[in-house]
Amino acid sequence: MKVTLNWLKQYVDFNWSPEELTERLTMLGLEVEGVQKLGGEFEGIVVAQVITRDKHPNADKLSICRVNDGTGERQIVCGAQNFKAGDKVPLILPGASLPPKAGEKEPFIIKVGKIRGVESHGMLCSHEELGLDPEAIGHKKEDGLLILRENATVGQPFAAYLGRSGSDVVYDLEVTPNRPDLNSLIGIAREIAAVTGNSLKLPEVKVGQTSSLSTPIASLVAVRVEDAELCPRYTARVIQGVKVGPSPDWLRVALEKVGIRSISNVVDVTNYVMLESGQPLHAFDYHLIAKNPAGQPTILVRRAAAGEKFKTLDNQDRTLTPDMLLIADEQKGIALAGVMGGANTEINAQTVDVLIESAYFNPTNIRRTSKVLGLRSESSYRFERGADAGICDWAGQRAAQLILETAGGQLATGVVDTRPQAPAPKEITLHFAKSLDLLGIGISHSDQVSFLTKLGLTLATQTPGTCTFTVPSWRVDLKREVDLIEEVGRLFGVDKIPSTPPRGALGTNAFDSVYDQISEVRRILTGLGLNEAQGQTLISDTAAKLASPNILALENPLSSDMNVLRPSLLPGLLDSLRINVSRKNADVALFEIGRVFTLVNGAPKEERRVAIALTGQRQLPFWSGDERNAKFDTYDLKGLAEDLLEQFGLRGVVFTTNPASTSLLLESASITLGGKLPLGELGQLLPALAKKYDLRDAVYLAEFNLDLLLAKRNAAKAFKALPSFPSIRRDVALLVPEAITHQAVLNTVKQTKPANLETVDLFDVFRGKHVPEGQKSLAYAFTYRAADKTLTDPEVNAAHEKLVAAFKAQLQATVRE
Amino acid sequence: MPLLDDIEPLKQTALADLAAAPDLAALEQTKGAWLGGNGRFTALMKQLGTLPKEEKPAAGKLINVAKQEIEAALLARREALELAAALPKEPTDFTLPGRRRALGKLHPLTQVTDDIVRAFRKIGFAVADGPEIEDEYHCFDALQTPADHPARDSQDTFYVASAARPLLRTHTSSVQIRVMQSQPPPVRIIVPGRVYRRDNADATHNPTFHQIEGLYVDKNVTVGDLKGTVEFVFRELMGSDVKIRFRQHYFSYTEPSYEIDFTNALVKKMGKDWLEIAGCGMVHPGVFENVGYDPAVWTGWAFGFGIERIAMLRYGINDIRLFYENDVRFLKQF
Repeated sequence: MKVTLNWLKQYVDFNWSPEELTERLTMLGLEVEGVQKLGGEFEGIVVAQVITRDKHPNADKLSICRVNDGTGERQIVCGAQNFKAGDKVPLILPGASLPPKAGEKEPFIIKVGKIRGVESHGMLCSHEELGLDPEAIGHKKEDGLLILRENATVGQPFAAYLGRSGSDVVYDLEVTPNRPDLNSLIGIAREIAAVTGNSLKLPEVKVGQTSSLSTPIASLVAVRVEDAELCPRYTARVIQGVKVGPSPDWLRVALEKVGIRSISNVVDVTNYVMLESGQPLHAFDYHLIAKNPAGQPTILVRRAAAGEKFKTLDNQDRTLTPDMLLIADEQKGIALAGVMGGANTEINAQTVDVLIESAYFNPTNIRRTSKVLGLRSESSYRFERGADAGICDWAGQRAAQLILETAGGQLATGVVDTRPQAPAPKEITLHFAKSLDLLGIGISHSDQVSFLTKLGLTLATQTPGTCTFTVPSWRVDLKREVDLIEEVGRLFGVDKIPSTPPRGALGTNAFDSVYDQISEVRRILTGLGLNEAQGQTLISDTAAKLASPNILALENPLSSDMNVLRPSLLPGLLDSLRINVSRKNADVALFEIGRVFTLVNGAPKEERRVAIALTGQRQLPFWSGDERNAKFDTYDLKGLAEDLLEQFGLRGVVFTTNPASTSLLLESASITLGGKLPLGELGQLLPALAKKYDLRDAVYLAEFNLDLLLAKRNAAKAFKALPSFPSIRRDVALLVPEAITHQAVLNTVKQTKPANLETVDLFDVFRGKHVPEGQKSLAYAFTYRAADKTLTDPEVNAAHEKLVAAFKAQLQATVRE
Repeated sequence: MPLLDDIEPLKQTALADLAAAPDLAALEQTKGAWLGGNGRFTALMKQLGTLPKEEKPAAGKLINVAKQEIEAALLARREALELAAALPKEPTDFTLPGRRRALGKLHPLTQVTDDIVRAFRKIGFAVADGPEIEDEYHCFDALQTPADHPARDSQDTFYVASAARPLLRTHTSSVQIRVMQSQPPPVRIIVPGRVYRRDNADATHNPTFHQIEGLYVDKNVTVGDLKGTVEFVFRELMGSDVKIRFRQHYFSYTEPSYEIDFTNALVKKMGKDWLEIAGCGMVHPGVFENVGYDPAVWTGWAFGFGIERIAMLRYGINDIRLFYENDVRFLKQF
């Protein structure tokens, strides 16, 4: 909603500066989104009177003048010859600039300066300098200064002397959806009136008494509302014999300042009154409304027929549905109720008689119609937020009055009003103590009453503890007591409510500890050297399908890049790798924690995950060392997975190599708890996909179900006494077939259960010299220790030999000790 | 007595020899030459026996003192030579870059979220959570924003293609409803999380972003409490020089409603008086009725703000999309 400072001042007195008005409106809840100062024409140019005129001592053609600018005297050096002491002339003050001429880039700014050694504080102007045709403004055309009328007021802004618009300030206000009454100048002025205590000055409307020559309205038009629920009130007035033409300057300028194009006097008036009162109006060409069989033009307010075609004012053909309300005559639709008029009855140059509609339409219905048709207008905007049904007739009268003033004509007597009797106003009771309860500050009863009455509420009854108000029809947002308390708080000022230090009950929520556990995962992974990523939730279906077949799609995506919900964090991480590598960050190690979404048995499923992505070099750059350029490999990923799971408290995790490549991974393993419950997956990205993502180095990916990790972790920690007896170590190299895994070795150890075995550590895997083709050498250190005594060699040997025998028997191992 | 006169010059020569030994091997040789079985100082000690009995104690004392001095000098010289031997051939250049370990960083949004959570937890708030896929009821209807409500205009919504036509929550306020439905008052929670709006991505919009929601329901909760808590949290987050302003506003689920503006040196530097940072208000009695709380007994407040916005202000980040690209040069800055 745009308003201007000068326009607002027509309805309420206030002496705030433009900046203070911004601040006041903002604090009242009318956020000022933009302020535009309009310079107005001839800014800094005033009417001045020449007091004396003397010759310049150093120049023949110049004179030194003393002039009165209305506030005092100043000295001006002037080169014109056509004036004398006593003449009134336009004076441009220092700092102001002359109206720009065609082709001029920089404005010419007047400064205090010396002309031939004499100071000049401004400049007296000619008609050329002002860009004016003197005859067009009723003045004599002559060389030199523009000599003004003798009765001109000294000190008056020159624009005002000419009757042109002066400076103004345009405010762009954000009106919250609960306050439709503020979509009007009067509504905003009412707020200012409430704050200042000054009275609201409504324009006087005096069209009630029409002359005996006027035609009674009933003989001109009938109105039939077929759906009173969608149109609770419809008023119509008719003005006969208007002359449609351009608007007078005041009307045109008022509209243009707030961004509305001037069309014609009649149409401009309807827009002006809408801005002024918040009531959308529509003007029809009376003679284009079809007559009923009895010969009387009739307005029907009805639902549109299914598929009914209608051409709106913007010349678009619309196809309507029975959910839409139509203003019609006996033959055709003439306006899309509350949204836009019809091309078939619009005001045109030949219009002689005008019918003004001022009605109230159901907000929800207007909103739906506007949304379905994709057609929004100043009118629909106001109706869908809730207009003021109480103001319909006042606005119609106001429009009629302004049309008579600007377009002439004769107003028909009376009004057609389908709801002549206003419904009983709403009543709300306020308990004075409740405002203290909610706002946290005691406000005197008299202040509470005063705030609400200043806003236009009427005190109906009062008891020592309560007061009951009737709510004016424009305040559709006031529904219950708390709404009145808000108004009391608003006018009191939230800045005056003292802050209370935090107090009260301590919060509890089951998720609270989960939040910390998730933070722990983050801490572990950053400690392991990974950077945390945050990916888009919305990704493309193509990317999503790499990770899962159970895709949850959006019904209304913005683009095909973001048309499904991520079923996995991995596609997003791949995107982040791609972005990094394309920007020459070749070495990237990321993790992400977030939710993924899948469609399971037709229903959406949400799950927390944690994922890892690695590519490029394992170590930060260094200037020496053989391994410094080593790239990440699967065992980096595996190590990270092991560290994460172990640190987070998962016991009994099993990695099982997958038999074949997947849609995403070349070689991979599934991670399970005890070989059963799937926790996640890890492996190397398919090289073809890596290429598709422009990733040159091998990419390693892992993803875990974080909800399961949270559910299955055992974070309990208990102290175990440090060993007090020495250990004995036995190293064994096993020559085994390739197919024998480390896990198989561990399984054999587990089954054999050697006495006092403390740890098994793999310290070398070797293929090559002295190892037959198809075999590998696995070197293990077995550490034996008893908790209660020093072990002897024979004791250890007995256990260890059993183990070695098992390796030979179960793993086809050749053992080197 | 010639013997006594010999002690001092002999000692001086010995000390000079030790000091002149260039390395540990030479030092051990020098040691032998003086203090060994056939050493020169040992020879002097052997002469002690030849002195008359009454001169022996004084001469013995003198010789011992000299010997201790030589031994001390030997020890000092050995330590010096050992230290020299331990130094590498080429001295280390301490200006060369060290061998760095990768240190992972938390995403800036995580860091800001953690800071906000920490500030709230100091004053007794617990963290709560809710689903990102929501239904109309929890996201809108229970918050008094039915389908045709004009307030829905600013929250263009993504719908999920599935039977019940769920949606992606447009704000964390949906969790208010879920928590109040699941636990009796009092309630004191904060809810950080992802939310979704159907906005095209640009420097200030991403279809996915993060919000944090605070809700406090108790007996006798007032606007004063809301102000006190908001001021505490923002001072914790933005520094003690931050100024907070409450400005009347409208939300369908709070009454009264306010927007919160803040200012500090940074805002002034941006050439602004105030920056809008959060919305808040007293929980609307209608919302309490929807979740089965008695508005005659309980009052409360709620507030919410965007985490990206706080992070952008705090670090001077000018494009929201940077948060979701995960350029490691970006991530490592925080």
